[in-house]
Amino acid sequence: MTAHEISEFLAPIRHEFPDQRSLILPALRFAQEEQGWLPPEAMAAVAEATGYSQAYVESVASFYDRLYTEPVGRRVISVCTTLSCMLRGSDELLAHVAANIGTNGEGTSADGMFTLQRAECLGACDRAPCLQVDSDDQQGPLTHDDADAIIGALRADGAPTRYDR
Amino acid sequence: MPQLNSVYRHREFQDLLTLSGYERAGGWNGLKATLEMSPDDALYAFQRSGLRGRGGAGFPMGRKASFLPKDSGRPTYVVCNADESEPGTFKDREILDKNPFQLIEGVAIASYGVGCERAYIYVRGEYGHQAEVLRRAITECREAGRLGPDAFGPGAPFDIALYRGAGAYICGEETALLESLEGKRGQPRLKPPFPAVAGLYGCPTLINNVETLAALPPIMHRGADWYAAIGPEKSPGTKIFSVSGHVLKPGNYEIVMGETTLRELIFDLAGGLRDGREFKACWPGGSSVPVLTAEHLDTPLDYESLAGAGTFLGSGGCIVMDDSGCIVRASWRLAHFYRHESCGKCTPCREGTGWLEKILGRIVHGDGRLEDLAMLESLFGRISGRTLCALADGAVAPVQSALELFRDDFVQVIEQGGSPVPEPMGVINV
Amino acid sequence: MSEPDEAPVIITINGQAVEARKGAMLVDAAKAVGVEIPVFCYEPRLGKPIGACRMCLVEVEGMRGLQTACSTPVARDMVVNTTSDQVKDAQNGVLELLLANHPLDCPVCDKGGECPLQDRTFQFGPGETRILEPKNHFPKPLDLSPLVALDRERCIACFRCVRFSEDVAEDGQLTFHERGDSTEIATFSGEPYEGRFTGNTIDLCPVGALTSNPYRFVSRPWDIKNAPSICAGCSVGCNLEITERDGEIKRVTGRPDPNMAVEEGWICDRGRWAFPALTAGDRLVMPEIVDQVGRRHVRIERAVGDAGAILRRSGIRVAFLLGTPVTVEDGFLALELSHLLDDAPVARLGVSDDGLGPLRALPGAQMHDMDGADVIVMVGGDPSSQQPVTELRLRKARRNGARVAMVGPRPTALDGNTAEALRTVPGRLGDAMDVVAERLLGSSRAIVLWDECDLAAEPVAADALARLVASTPGARAIELAADVSGPGLRALGIPATGVLEQIEAGEVDVLITVKADPTTGPGGTRWAAALNQVPTVIALSTHRSPIVDLAAIAIPVLYGLEEAGTLVSMAGRAQRLRPGAIGPEGAAAAWEVLVGLSHRMGQPLPDRTAAQAFDRMAKRFPAFSGLTCTDLGLLGAPIAAGTGGPAAPARRAEGEGLALVVSTPVFGDATAHRSDALDCVREETHLGLCPAEADRLGVSGSTHVRVTTPFASVLLPLVEDHRLHEAGAYLVLGDPASMAATLLPADRGPVCAVISAPVAQEVGA
Ligand SMILES: Cc1cc2nc3c(=O)[nH]c(=O)nc-3n(C[C@H](O)[C@H](O)[C@H](O)COP(=O)(O)O)c2cc1C
Ligand code: SF4
Ligand code: FES
Repeated sequence: MTAHEISEFLAPIRHEFPDQRSLILPALRFAQEEQGWLPPEAMAAVAEATGYSQAYVESVASFYDRLYTEPVGRRVISVCTTLSCMLRGSDELLAHVAANIGTNGEGTSADGMFTLQRAECLGACDRAPCLQVDSDDQQGPLTHDDADAIIGALRADGAPTRYDR
Repeated sequence: MPQLNSVYRHREFQDLLTLSGYERAGGWNGLKATLEMSPDDALYAFQRSGLRGRGGAGFPMGRKASFLPKDSGRPTYVVCNADESEPGTFKDREILDKNPFQLIEGVAIASYGVGCERAYIYVRGEYGHQAEVLRRAITECREAGRLGPDAFGPGAPFDIALYRGAGAYICGEETALLESLEGKRGQPRLKPPFPAVAGLYGCPTLINNVETLAALPPIMHRGADWYAAIGPEKSPGTKIFSVSGHVLKPGNYEIVMGETTLRELIFDLAGGLRDGREFKACWPGGSSVPVLTAEHLDTPLDYESLAGAGTFLGSGGCIVMDDSGCIVRASWRLAHFYRHESCGKCTPCREGTGWLEKILGRIVHGDGRLEDLAMLESLFGRISGRTLCALADGAVAPVQSALELFRDDFVQVIEQGGSPVPEPMGVINV
Repeated sequence: MSEPDEAPVIITINGQAVEARKGAMLVDAAKAVGVEIPVFCYEPRLGKPIGACRMCLVEVEGMRGLQTACSTPVARDMVVNTTSDQVKDAQNGVLELLLANHPLDCPVCDKGGECPLQDRTFQFGPGETRILEPKNHFPKPLDLSPLVALDRERCIACFRCVRFSEDVAEDGQLTFHERGDSTEIATFSGEPYEGRFTGNTIDLCPVGALTSNPYRFVSRPWDIKNAPSICAGCSVGCNLEITERDGEIKRVTGRPDPNMAVEEGWICDRGRWAFPALTAGDRLVMPEIVDQVGRRHVRIERAVGDAGAILRRSGIRVAFLLGTPVTVEDGFLALELSHLLDDAPVARLGVSDDGLGPLRALPGAQMHDMDGADVIVMVGGDPSSQQPVTELRLRKARRNGARVAMVGPRPTALDGNTAEALRTVPGRLGDAMDVVAERLLGSSRAIVLWDECDLAAEPVAADALARLVASTPGARAIELAADVSGPGLRALGIPATGVLEQIEAGEVDVLITVKADPTTGPGGTRWAAALNQVPTVIALSTHRSPIVDLAAIAIPVLYGLEEAGTLVSMAGRAQRLRPGAIGPEGAAAAWEVLVGLSHRMGQPLPDRTAAQAFDRMAKRFPAFSGLTCTDLGLLGAPIAAGTGGPAAPARRAEGEGLALVVSTPVFGDATAHRSDALDCVREETHLGLCPAEADRLGVSGSTHVRVTTPFASVLLPLVEDHRLHEAGAYLVLGDPASMAATLLPADRGPVCAVISAPVAQEVGA
């Protein structure tokens, strides 16, 4: 992702923000769409496109859970483990998903296809236990078979062309 | 047990996901009525309605709007807080998903009242799907001229910018949200000044929750007095409760304030518990509020009654636990949440939430000592009430109340050598 | 932040009615009446309070819960309690929590013994720990840069360092990463934290998280002595503190009680880490004389005795040449001695005063006056590199709302977000006076910073600028003086010219140089030739240099940080140096050597201390009139403004080719080169050209160029930089050994240079 591409993405929304610093978060989200995470070059490109320092951009990025400054798999699976979900079996769901993709708890599968992470309340407690793939709609309530089916379908689909996390 | 879908009008009408469908269902009447008033009259109507903020603190919406200085010489902003991240809360999600135009209309109404030409809706990063629905709705409004250069009449512009967060509970706190919206780390600001005086970009800013703003169109359409007359005097109107946990029908329920009890919410609306299970505890207003026991089940659901029961209405995210659950384990899990979500600015919160989690974890895993309970008790006051924002208070409240109300459970877990992992409820199709 | 300026009100602190300024923060109001409220994050120099650490919680009657004293402004009739049980519990609580994840490794921590966290814990803390839990761990300590080390486990996330980087230095390099209890200080992608002011983060850190790499494990607080002094690195005159152990300087820091009128406690990394130069290998530690036997070391008494004997000879014609850092006392005693020697000429190495009189007669300002300026115009110069701490004031002024413009030929670090950059054609500052006038229009609190070198080269512009400023109501001027000694010596009337001409006329038998080596500087070739005609050179010098090798008698002298004396800053502030170390055994302060010479000449001068010399001097020189050494105290005092002098006619640049734009970065000078600590930030000598010009000259892409003026021809590294004006060649002076300064005329006047490609073997070698 180049600074130029980021600038082009920002062009139509620039006028919405009297202070251009506000563009950093949208720019980071956009930069992340390409590789699914933010390698240093992507953050440097955001810095260039927004006029803020690279360290500043990384500082902002690292504050937020859904901006990844370390590589992650082609699909990020978030299993909510906060109270409502815990009461309905989220820990077991997490363990099950981990077993399916071959990670020991949170982590990235050996083939780089999945990153599994425990998430804090996803705002879908009515669907507990639930998971979310990238920032797609939250899915649940899930039996372990449901989870297997979701993972199977993701495997079959391969990697998305843009990542929205 | 009166239910009234005033915000959740999608439950009454079809096709609220298109502008035409929304208008057929009476959409935009509230804004039309508002635009016929002067902004001051609109502000006055907000106040008369008695609508209180639905994001957690319950501050009267109209009063807050009236705090914005009119002669600051700077632009005024309205910011809609759609960061919904309070554990157990998913009511705003349904508005975004199913009734986005009512939110847009509500934002427009509030903006007219405070003289704002550009409003922002800050949607939590995880709500990717919901943000997309809202984005489409905003685009449709622009295309139809409902937003844009002549939104409030010829030459009277108004528009909304959608802003997506990126995963941080703290960005629901209003000043952290503003920081985040300004492109910074989402860390709360020192107050005063309050956002009403110096908010977004240092300008006067009105921040309200999604549900608060989405409540405005019916209020303006049917009249502030209509709304004020619903429910108790100090907590008028309807409120959406998100019910989750060990209930058979988890979901959102919009009820008339004060006319439904906690018991009715849990046992009638949300389907009650599994056979053979007893009610153990519930956190009625999201996880940041003191927990309640079976004794409190007959409390009516409104701000004052819940305060009387020693808790808060909060966000209305009601998490229910039956007797299969362990209160110590639940407390530990919540402590984990707050430790993970602390922004790290204040010492008591940054260090204290971690300490709480560690002590509770030790107890849950069998290394607890009875002295730990006294230590916890002395820690609460050192964390709570001593920080910039209320996250730290929210971290303490559920744990402190659990220890007060369920002390025996804590002692038992310590003496037993830990809390066994309970059989989870799992998926139940009702 | 604006200072509380309202009338005093009465408030009650711990039962006592006290006076406080309305709007002042409670911590400060309490401190003013001797009540200490502990703080960590509060540091008003960094901007508005942030209320993060929660250490300062106090009870205020009528307000719910505890309030942060750092951010609660005083109001009439406030009743404050800072010692109640609730407050005690809050203080205990915050300290206990701060220590919850702290490694408690004080015995091996460089901050141990001078650590606010440690002190607060003793004063306000619980005394015992109740913490059983395992601590959070961070990756091991690391070097943020070769100068600054970071131990993240000790960090208490007080925001001070990151606020300094973001809001004071505005370098945007040091930031928080992650959040919550994972919050850590970091640079982008782990790159080194590089800048001109990085060391201030060490002073700011209230724990041992940021420490000085060069000071690592060097000493413990009980082994050291601290002395407040002044930096002799450039003409800003930053106040600093010197740490000594076993007679040697181990550390230099900003002053704990800063001089708010000058540096506010911020010093540059050059000032902080130049001191190793004092113990560098080429330090002159023993006097040397040349006699029949040859060159040999002698004791200082012998060297001074021999020199005195020479001066006693009748009919001998003596001259004095003063360099840097020479104190006012040194200059005064050189004058005194010259009176004993038939008014022997005394000159300083520096920029000639010609034509600068009108500017110097303008109303002057102190550094902190910039804080309240509405407009600041810099004419010429590059303060970021030549008077570094000025940059921080300029940034602050901009934050405070001043419009800042940089009018001159060089790109500067301030261009862009801080200063409007108005690039002038090299050698044609005068053309920009219209723009300066426009910027000053309508202002009522303008400050004009003018560069001594650049305006001396263009007297017509200097005169025009002086008239502009004089006619702008409320406008004041600060001279960006080229060297640290110039302002003080000028106040004594010591000129920058005369001695060279006299030598060339064969009128000098003995030249006494004080910290001056003209052979490597402007006019170096001419000086070298002239010095051959001087029968006897007596060199007072801190380090070995060509003049020392030439001298019949070389006497080691102390350097600024080792001696007592007075320096006058570019803003005309006289400030006292205090010795932070004893210096080499064979050395003495230059003024002492001069007094010693008078004794050996049989006409003893009465001064026994630098202070006596100052007081005697102040009575004689109007610029210092009314001042005594005692008056200067810890913070110094402004001296009287110059009386001006006539305008001068235009000067023509000597030589052909491109106008030479010269910068003298303090990070590149001889002292900076002698300090290993500064390896990572040193600026090296080079010639800068804009790429188009390099192309036109046929040198594009080559590593070196030959630079030739009427005065010298030197091979220099080439740096192509698109920000440079094509009508100029930008000479950046670094190590004197490069001889690059000899390209300039002896009076540092304007000059042009011919740039050519080097012959092949030159570069290979
Ligand atoms: C830690 C914390 C998290 C919060 N999260 C939310 C949130 O997700 N959504 C929300 O509307 N308000 C949240 N709030 C409350 C907001 O600060 C603010 O009071 C609210 O947005 C005001 O809107 P209202 O008056 O309409 O309720 C949170 C407050 C705190 C202290
Ligand atoms: S209370 Fe916690 S979340 Fe709130 S500002 Fe302080 S550290 Fe951040
Ligand atoms: S000094 Fe007041 S909160 Fe840190």
